[in-house]
Amino acid sequence: MAALLEVNHLTKQFGKDSKALTDVSFSVQEGEFVSIIGPSGAGKSTLLRCINRMIDASGGEIRFQDHHVMDLKKKELKQVRTKIGMIFQHYNLVNRLSVIENTLHGKLGTKSTWAGVLGLYSNEEKKQAIQILNVLGLNEMIYKRADQLSGGQKQRVGIARALIQNPRMLLCDEPIASLDPNSAKVIMDHLKKVSTTMGITVVVNLHQVDVAIKYSDRIIGINKGQVVYNGSAKALTSEDIQRIYGSEAEDLIFDIGGIHAG
Amino acid sequence: MEVKEQLSNVTAPSVHLLGKRIPAKPLNKAAIVTRLTLFILAALTVYAFYSFDYKELDFMDALLGTFANLKTIFLEPHLKHFSFGHALYQVMVTLGLAFLTTLFGAIIAVLFGLMAAENLSSRRVSIVIKSMVAFIRAVPTVLWVLIFAVAAGLGSTAAVIGMTFHSIGYLIKAYSESFEELDRGVIEALQASGANWWQIVFQAVIPSSITYMISWTFLRFEINFAVAVAMGAAAGAGGIGFDMFMASSFYLDMREIGAITYFILAVAVILEIFAAKIKRKLKTV
Ligand SMILES: Nc1ncnc2c1ncn2[C@@H]1O[C@H](COP(=O)(O)OP(=O)(O)OP(=O)(O)O)[C@@H](O)[C@H]1O
Ligand SMILES: [Mg+2]
Repeated sequence: MAALLEVNHLTKQFGKDSKALTDVSFSVQEGEFVSIIGPSGAGKSTLLRCINRMIDASGGEIRFQDHHVMDLKKKELKQVRTKIGMIFQHYNLVNRLSVIENTLHGKLGTKSTWAGVLGLYSNEEKKQAIQILNVLGLNEMIYKRADQLSGGQKQRVGIARALIQNPRMLLCDEPIASLDPNSAKVIMDHLKKVSTTMGITVVVNLHQVDVAIKYSDRIIGINKGQVVYNGSAKALTSEDIQRIYGSEAEDLIFDIGGIHAG
Repeated sequence: MEVKEQLSNVTAPSVHLLGKRIPAKPLNKAAIVTRLTLFILAALTVYAFYSFDYKELDFMDALLGTFANLKTIFLEPHLKHFSFGHALYQVMVTLGLAFLTTLFGAIIAVLFGLMAAENLSSRRVSIVIKSMVAFIRAVPTVLWVLIFAVAAGLGSTAAVIGMTFHSIGYLIKAYSESFEELDRGVIEALQASGANWWQIVFQAVIPSSITYMISWTFLRFEINFAVAVAMGAAAGAGGIGFDMFMASSFYLDMREIGAITYFILAVAVILEIFAAKIKRKLKTV
């Protein structure tokens, strides 16, 4: 299987001497579910945002499909972005608009400027939006305003907005960090389903090691901007967790055996 | 010289006080300047009243005379030099002037407001536009009308341009601040899906701030109505303001001034009710 995403020797420097990422290399296969874990400030968000160039990396190479992402011109970059969905911790919906309007926003990248400005969506696009919202269990909420939804529902709209792009890959930056455990499970289950049934590659930043182990095919551990673990979720040991989280690890090494058993 | 003396007067006692009492406010440079300014203003006011040339004016007589005039104006209004229909038409002209200038101002201000909003524009462009806006707003509307009157001559053209100009400045500030309220993350989310700037503006930024924009625009419309009345009188821009000017300084008809004042008051009240209705509606949307 070909790698969908390849990151080689990626570095990112903010200002003069604060390196957020140092020589990060990994690849992600088509259809894989990959979690990125690491302590706060390790560079997880920075890494994710370099991949679709929400921020520009300082050095290295990123390949997505056949595109050298870092060399893309503005127009090509937009085209590549339409193939990559992004999901955020704070959902980032337009509060005053309805669920379906927010969902259809995912289509803007493929429309002409005018059609996008005027919000002219085809019937097929609307049908697709409704179908995706059905799958995510939001069929009752289609015309509700986004700010009237619960956090979990908002995040599902966020997923719908990403899915309507027909993406090859989803980048999720701590999608469950603001949610209660039940809503978090619903969201993770949906992401897993997206990856297994639709074959969409999922790369997700997580704070919860147990969730990462439970859902991922592979885990990438980052500490101080460097990859310190890159392997299957099953093989993750408490020594690895120690390496990823450093001194914070004591609080996290609860019962890793229990998680693997479950 | 005098100022210096006053300065030492102000500061000296506080130095003595320092040992005995703890001042609630720190006595820094700003506080001294504020106190000094207030003191000088107070002194000037007293001096001004003292130095007025009152001629043979009796204060009591003058007061009573003023009340008598007010009574004539407000209790015995009539229309003599023009009809009710004419007055209504002239009010419409004034409203038209206010509407036109607000509309022109709003359209231009949306564009510049987007460029002035820091989350939608580059830092440099934003700063340039914001400082120009600060300058435009610092000069009163009436002055802008007079400035443009140099080129266009005193009349409706100068009034429209001058009022539009100040409206633009006012609305750019109001709009750009409501655009900046929008969370950066929302813009990023749409950027990440490949949407371009215009699409983001019309699909996220404007829907999020439309209620603020409408209420600021309406507020400006009310201001422009008041200015339009004054412009009719001062700049010969026509409308009810011009009739008021004629009634007061040409026909010297106080009763007619009263009638016109009631007219303007009625329109202002209607506008106010209308504005309140709109705002209530916007809140529930
Ligand atoms: N815009 C920025 N300017 C300067 N430094 C930044 C910027 N964004 C991130 N950094 C720095 O880069 C490092 C990595 O930040 P990043 O947000 O990627 O961490 P993270 O792993 O996502 O942390 P968290 O788990 O808390 O979200 C941090 O040291 C941070 O201070
Ligand atoms: Mg982060």
